Amino acid sequence: MAFLKTGETGILTTTIDKALEWGRSNSLWPLTFGLACCAIEMMAVQGSHFDISRFGSEIFRNSPRQSDLMIVSGTVTKKMAPRLKRLYDEMPYPKYVIAMGVCVIQGGPYVKGYSVVLGVDRVVPVDVFVPGCPPTPDALTYGIMTLQKKIRGETDR
Amino acid sequence: MVEIIEEKKGKDGRPIFVIKKSDLLEFMRQKKQEGFDHLSLITGVDRKDYMEVVYHLYSFSKNQYIVVKVTTDNLTVPSLISLWKSADWEEREQYDMLGIRFEGHPDLKRMFLPESWVGHPLRKDYDLNNVQYINMDEYGEDYATFDPGDGW
Repeated sequence: MAFLKTGETGILTTTIDKALEWGRSNSLWPLTFGLACCAIEMMAVQGSHFDISRFGSEIFRNSPRQSDLMIVSGTVTKKMAPRLKRLYDEMPYPKYVIAMGVCVIQGGPYVKGYSVVLGVDRVVPVDVFVPGCPPTPDALTYGIMTLQKKIRGETDR
Repeated sequence: MVEIIEEKKGKDGRPIFVIKKSDLLEFMRQKKQEGFDHLSLITGVDRKDYMEVVYHLYSFSKNQYIVVKVTTDNLTVPSLISLWKSADWEEREQYDMLGIRFEGHPDLKRMFLPESWVGHPLRKDYDLNNVQYINMDEYGEDYATFDPGDGW
């Protein structure tokens, strides 16, 4: 809370932007969007053992209109790419994308295939890349915390 | 009379029958009467100068598999849809991936890729450098393009 100044009288001052960023970063609701095996790890993150509810990602929403964050978890095929783009377009602003797994980042083991999108950043803008095949739940949790820092403007880039 | 060109055992112990293309329907009808009531798999192999189609049959009563292979020079094979209904989508998949045409199939169109896709991607001579993209029109129908276009 470096941006907050507390006075002795119990009054707390901040800017509107900082307050909004703080609120947004602590209420990231992801979209239920599992594409392949990485989705299993995403479900583990959502479950009680790793529990991203601790960081405010309280619930996975089934509608893109109710969610802020799209975790692209799993291989994006060329047939899926227009659907992914459409779901992304239906999300309200501000919206964020985490690319989870090496397939989503650059194609992974399917890099010489005919059917796989070589990086989801060709279709939608990506905020945080989480490498791994699949990434551990800890890695995804770290990715979400990195995104929170990015929303609050605490990272360099 | 069905002429069996070659009969051998696979590595997993399944008997393999290599037969002529003209005998395929008659041979399969005999095997179905012998109790092989489940068409487990149809797949195709690109041998560069000819195509091979492989059928895996299973018998629930005997708990036994057999493998039937036919080769084709001109990319046509008789359809087995009159014997097993499940041949429908399996043959469409092979048509999509390898371009093998199954004669007598009622609705032979692509299984996975859009109709405007150029080429058959599992063929040995398919050019991977000529990248194609899939876009969706306003009716939700897919079409393939060489130009990445708007959505990409």
